[in-house]
Amino acid sequence: MRRYALPLIACLILAGLVLVGILGSRFTVYITMRVMILAIFALGYNLLLGRTGLLSFGHAAFFAGGSYGAALFFIHVNRHPLLCIAAGIALAIVLSVIIGFFCVRHTEIYFAMLTLAFGMMVFSLIWNMREITGGDDGLVGIARAPISLWLVSISLAKPSHYYFLVMAFFMVSLALVYVIRQSPLGLILSGIRENDKRIEFAGISLKNYRLAAFVISGGFAGLAGALATFLNSNTTPFSAHWTHSAEPVLVSLIGGLQTFMGPVVGSLIYVVLREVIERFTQNWMLWFGIILLIIIMGFRGGVVGSMVSLLGLKNRPDERSEGVSA
Amino acid sequence: METKGMTRREFVKAGLLTAAAASLGAGVFKPTGLWAATPTIKGPVKLGYQAIMSGALAGYGEFHKMGVQMAVDEINADKGIAGVKVEVDFRDSTLKADEAIKNARYFVDSWGADFLGGIDSSGQALALAPVMAELDRILMVTHAATEKLTEQQVFKNGIKQVFRISTPTYQDGNAAAFIAKDIPAKTWATISPKYEYGYTCWEMFKQTLGKLKKDVSFTGESWAPFGTTDFRPHINTIMDAAPDGLYSTEWAGELITLVKQANQAGLFQKIKHVMFPVGAAMDVLEGLGQELPENIWISGRYFFLYPADNRNRAWVAAFRSRWNHFPAYVSETGYSTLFALKKAIEAAGSKDTAKVVQALEGMEIDTPAGRRVFRKEDHQAMYDVPWGLTKTDAAFPFKVMGKQVMVRAKECFNRPPFEGAGTKPPF
Amino acid sequence: MLESIVHVCLAGLSIGMFIWLVASGLTLIFGVLKVLNFAHGTFYMLGAYLCYWVLGRMGENFWLGLAIGPLVVCAAGFLIERFFLRHVYHLALPYQLLLTFAFVLIFDDAVKILWGAGSLGSPNVPGLSGSISILGRNFPLYSLFMIAVGPLVALAMWTFLERTWWGRIIRASSSDREMAAALGVRVPALYTAVFVLGTWLGALGGGLAVPYVGLLTPGMGEAIIIDAFVVAVIGGLGSLKGAFFGALIIGLLSSFGTRFLPTFDMFLTFILMAAVLLWRPQGFFGEAK
Repeated sequence: MRRYALPLIACLILAGLVLVGILGSRFTVYITMRVMILAIFALGYNLLLGRTGLLSFGHAAFFAGGSYGAALFFIHVNRHPLLCIAAGIALAIVLSVIIGFFCVRHTEIYFAMLTLAFGMMVFSLIWNMREITGGDDGLVGIARAPISLWLVSISLAKPSHYYFLVMAFFMVSLALVYVIRQSPLGLILSGIRENDKRIEFAGISLKNYRLAAFVISGGFAGLAGALATFLNSNTTPFSAHWTHSAEPVLVSLIGGLQTFMGPVVGSLIYVVLREVIERFTQNWMLWFGIILLIIIMGFRGGVVGSMVSLLGLKNRPDERSEGVSA
Repeated sequence: METKGMTRREFVKAGLLTAAAASLGAGVFKPTGLWAATPTIKGPVKLGYQAIMSGALAGYGEFHKMGVQMAVDEINADKGIAGVKVEVDFRDSTLKADEAIKNARYFVDSWGADFLGGIDSSGQALALAPVMAELDRILMVTHAATEKLTEQQVFKNGIKQVFRISTPTYQDGNAAAFIAKDIPAKTWATISPKYEYGYTCWEMFKQTLGKLKKDVSFTGESWAPFGTTDFRPHINTIMDAAPDGLYSTEWAGELITLVKQANQAGLFQKIKHVMFPVGAAMDVLEGLGQELPENIWISGRYFFLYPADNRNRAWVAAFRSRWNHFPAYVSETGYSTLFALKKAIEAAGSKDTAKVVQALEGMEIDTPAGRRVFRKEDHQAMYDVPWGLTKTDAAFPFKVMGKQVMVRAKECFNRPPFEGAGTKPPF
Repeated sequence: MLESIVHVCLAGLSIGMFIWLVASGLTLIFGVLKVLNFAHGTFYMLGAYLCYWVLGRMGENFWLGLAIGPLVVCAAGFLIERFFLRHVYHLALPYQLLLTFAFVLIFDDAVKILWGAGSLGSPNVPGLSGSISILGRNFPLYSLFMIAVGPLVALAMWTFLERTWWGRIIRASSSDREMAAALGVRVPALYTAVFVLGTWLGALGGGLAVPYVGLLTPGMGEAIIIDAFVVAVIGGLGSLKGAFFGALIIGLLSSFGTRFLPTFDMFLTFILMAAVLLWRPQGFFGEAK
């Protein structure tokens, strides 16, 4: 059973997403893309927050790095979507290495404030470097060119086509994050969260591992940013604003910090819930705030975590047993 | 143990996804756009309208809604549009481009909007243009002012689905320069928003005034970030520069704050010639009341006392009795959007986007703001809004335009093809 | 030039004191409860609106509004601490931030529903609405008043914390919660009290800000909260003295920067914030760990 479970789940998600892609209305397809992009952002982010316990308020900067990286590559170098996305991820990684280098010296609130400061610096740069970034208007007209690989050329112009590219990246991200969590690196990271002293005694450099988690999550943020750029065919400086950094925190908490699927479920709830609320009222902030309150007060381990413990699948919502001691 | 948990979680996730897909509208499996093929108008005309309804500028959203709601009620109480009712749905645009795109897609693909309207931010308008082409629905922009929307997206890139019923930056930059050429001021400085709108207007003002008047110079700039609550450092900068004239495209609450703080600093005693291109906005006039000094040059996208004809007077009276407010310019542009669409749909005899686009191009319509003509090339509504000097009027609890000077749209709006000689005023 | 520098200086001082008034409550709450309260900007906004609301019912008396308005906000602060925040103290940092963030959303819309979406004009403050001429240029009396109120609030807080029995208990609980509890301090009640006091300070800042900024808008708290964060960090998280001088530094930096560096931007304040965090995380005035 255990051997087949994982591929089975992956197939189920894939089948569900493919069904949405084929049968869903244009809006369902669009919203599902937004869910997947936010999920990629949050999955990567949760490697940092959920695994190492570091709360970053600057990851929007890497999202924006991916977004502007892809857009600038598109405008100045080459329009191939895969190359643009690669360029976006590369810029996000470069940014996260530089910023991470400074930030991982701290933990807790100091880390959060440091990432906030660096993130807002990036926001400010994007806002003010008008010649390069288009200022507050952002870069517009980032169209989706066809993907040409050797002899085939796949058009992405239609959202329903682009959907499958986003889906592919989402599935790959899911697999990558799963692998990273199970890897020695992932185990050490959760060890850091549980007991950093013990890890340090084991002769492991805390900073390097934190930096690794920081950069990996920055890379995923960059991927999400690049995908979002092609989804909306523009970039906006607000993608680097701290309020945007709060989104992956929000969805990770809604879904469950210590669970693998938490960020994905959280993204789904966040996007769909807001969409549903807005159908009934323009005071969406009020109702969203109230629901957020209920989730925080009522579902401590997030929706996934609470469900897991409710169904008695696990004694504890957090996966401490997965730590280094295991 | 991990695997078992995973399985259940995945099932839960799949279930949620299905539920989500189902909840995202009845339109999931319904073919959309059926009506597009039929020549006669069927069902209601649906307008999806988005404006800023949260945060510091939320008041603008309210004013948009008042105008739109009033038009909808008037049209439905009469004969509707070509005999069918008009329905409108509002959403908060939040000023973020991706939210505006999501709203537009919701309106068209899920709610079934035939037309879209609204939009306050230039960045949002620019980002929406290609989406409008993809969704193939008309977007009537009622506030966002960037000239790039009509010059580049509509004219150059050929996105025919976008129209603008409000005045663009030409009114704030070019028209202001025409006014400034007759003002005895040789040096000008600015306190303006530190974003594209502010930069663009100041650049336009400088360029056009430079051409109109040879002996002017521009001696100071102070750029205030979005959300500035304290303009005193900026006021100090300008008072040190000591120009003859101050030009400021600050708007809404920030303009109110600027004027109050400039009053306290005695700026208006030192600098005699002051121009606020969006100073005639209702929220600013009402917000400042008697604190707005006399003899300041103000303008807007519509001013409720212009034109002084019966149609406008009747409309303002109706608006006041309905909402107990004076109409803001976004109320007028929102209101007129409905009537412009009504006229175009009835002329086209269809809701079909291509046909309505054709009907709108070059269409003339009488609105509270006066006669508007949608320029064929760039889809910009050409209409005249006066500049005026503030003065006290016992009939109103706030300052209004006393002496008015008109710079006609055809004189101060850039002309197609927007590049090369003869495309920028003076002509 | 002298006139210019004096006025830039005065503007910087008043901006600094304006931020200090908001940051003081944030810092107090963080110092004792170790909670970074996102909703502090919301208390600032509620303070402004309630001050406005009360004075509208009290014959336009600004001082009455200022006295009563923030007290009403305290009730909200009490309910939030007692019924929500208290239950997440033991949880990780993100939970506390998110909880307070939920209240930001709720109150932003609540204000819009209660007082309308448009901006509201500020009341007149009798005796302080004019300006005085300093070196030939006008300076608003109200800004001078802010420059005076800031240090007064700081002094009052210092006296309260250093010289009173209550202050000693707060300081004791702040440095060692378990020890204080062991010595018979009712820590939960104390936390509630401190949170309410912090709320009151934020709301007072809001009430005082109304004539200073000139208008009230829904969402006005969001602009100030990041400034307050920056100030709290530069001064050393939890240090009131640090926050006071941090606010002065930020105020003067933004005033001089705007005047003398045309390209000045918030960028510089964030560089300063990052630099402090990297090289003196305890802040300019915090004690080294």
